[in-house]
Amino acid sequence: MSNQIKSRPWKSLVELPENIWRSIFRNPLPSSDLGRASTSFTNFFLHLHPVKVHRHSLRATFTLGLGLIAFFLFFILVVTGILLMFYYVPSTTQAYDRMLDLRGTVAFGIFLRNMHRWAAHGMVAVVFLHMCRVFLTGSYKPPREFNWVLGVLLLLVTLFMSFTGYLLPWDQLAFWAITVGTSIASYAPLVGKEMKFILLGDSTVGQEALLRFYVLHVAVLPAVLSLLIAIHFWRIRKDGGLSRPEEEDALPVPPAEVELVHAPAVVMATSPAAAAAAEPVLQKRNYGIQGLVRGPFTKVGNVPDRSVFAWPNLFMAELVVFLITVAGVLLVSLLFNAPLEEPVNIMHPPNPAKAPWYFLGLQEQVSYSAFWGGVGIPGIEVLLLLLVPYIDRKVAGVGRWFARERLLANSLFLTFVIVNVILIIIGTFFRGPNWEFVSPW
Amino acid sequence: MKTPAKPTLEESGDAMTRRRLLSWLSGFGLFGSLIITAFSNLIFIKPRATYGQPNRFSIGRPDDFPSGARVSLDERRVCIVRDGDKIAAISTTCTHLGCIVAVSETGFSCPCHGSRYDQDGNVTGGPAPRALPWFQITLAPNGEIEVDKDTEIEAGNYLRV
Repeated sequence: MSNQIKSRPWKSLVELPENIWRSIFRNPLPSSDLGRASTSFTNFFLHLHPVKVHRHSLRATFTLGLGLIAFFLFFILVVTGILLMFYYVPSTTQAYDRMLDLRGTVAFGIFLRNMHRWAAHGMVAVVFLHMCRVFLTGSYKPPREFNWVLGVLLLLVTLFMSFTGYLLPWDQLAFWAITVGTSIASYAPLVGKEMKFILLGDSTVGQEALLRFYVLHVAVLPAVLSLLIAIHFWRIRKDGGLSRPEEEDALPVPPAEVELVHAPAVVMATSPAAAAAAEPVLQKRNYGIQGLVRGPFTKVGNVPDRSVFAWPNLFMAELVVFLITVAGVLLVSLLFNAPLEEPVNIMHPPNPAKAPWYFLGLQEQVSYSAFWGGVGIPGIEVLLLLLVPYIDRKVAGVGRWFARERLLANSLFLTFVIVNVILIIIGTFFRGPNWEFVSPW
Repeated sequence: MKTPAKPTLEESGDAMTRRRLLSWLSGFGLFGSLIITAFSNLIFIKPRATYGQPNRFSIGRPDDFPSGARVSLDERRVCIVRDGDKIAAISTTCTHLGCIVAVSETGFSCPCHGSRYDQDGNVTGGPAPRALPWFQITLAPNGEIEVDKDTEIEAGNYLRV
């Protein structure tokens, strides 16, 4: 008895590392299905994921990982963006010098700027491609209509985010791209002029505009984007995971290994009685851990067996996508430097003065008609995109690429995509001084 | 004679009970505050004073501009045109997308999207939707020319000096 009391401080010291570890991570590395389930369930970062995920959702050829890549690019942008903020000053007299400092004196400065720049371009492209994936697989059909709407909003915020960042280096490219871009906005009926004035804080692009774009770029828009991303992700779960064809659930269930496992300490068990009830259980049993969730995915006692545990299947897939994304950004940043032109000279607009590449389709349209090209047609396009899930109500062909049943919808969408891509290509490569047609060869 | 008992206001259902009135009022109040909040934010971010270049400025004496001169003051975004004893200030901000138009032989041309204007600022080609505006120009008591970019005047209204 006395021996036991004596050894207590020593014992708690010996157990200290393990106790700390266990207080942070509630579960040991899972070795059973129950463990896998409760690991997903009890870890803050992992619990954003479902405990089980359908095999179809894990197919790289179905999602191409585009949504994840977009999110990871955003993550890279937040990290590199915050680091760049330590050296950046949103002032017309200092901003450009700070760009030169990033090149010359700041450790890894040029590399961080490259990463931020290329990840930003990449995010615009990947978010757009993600939208194409969702459309061409018919994944906006009920109950996922509103998540499509959120996705369109995310695309718009991403574009605005990139656009506000474009001004910050305060070089010729930045200044004239924003001059052209904000003038396009001023063509909006009634509110256009006011909108431009509020956005720029002045009648022309200057110090006020730089400060405003900076605040939008580093605070307002990231907050909006994060909130929308959170709702977007949350809804994926609540709408029953990624879309998949009905037939998927009818496919034969692959044989599962049936093993008898001893239930580890169940964290979810709320009472000693419940813990006692969790005696040796059969591996194949489906735990109704998620509770009742609307939609076709999770029903207590009726979990589709074409699903696998998120740990490790989903998490490994996500890790791989993350590593590929980071590797891609690092590689591009090592090979190519972010452009930096001459400092702003309002007397000498470059000829031609071009907007960022993703707005060059818009600028090409604008060269035909300022109102229709810059406001009218884009406005209609955005409105149609927002309304897509409410116009197309047919439920056939969900969860498959280029489903035959969706020939009309897919053709219309592809036409929209191709026309815009062609306009961007014309604006980028085929327009020279005075916006006259030139041949790039 | 006995009249049939009328249902009281509360029983009939469409009456304004106290509870209903209060919830209606508080809902109105909350919604109203939301709108006022949004509106005041909008008022807040619209600047009352700008810190950039003033829209009224003097550009020197008339003698600085010889007859036939077409001097583009790019920083002011205005072109001073003198023809004999007539002088005028024409905007050099392209009406299309806000680039600075360059003075050319035939008038003005925009480097961004190829808009072209004649000597008086009328559109002769390209996507520009309207002519370059003319600004009011006055002779200040000290003999200097003052341009007021807040006041647009009709094209062809010269100041005689």
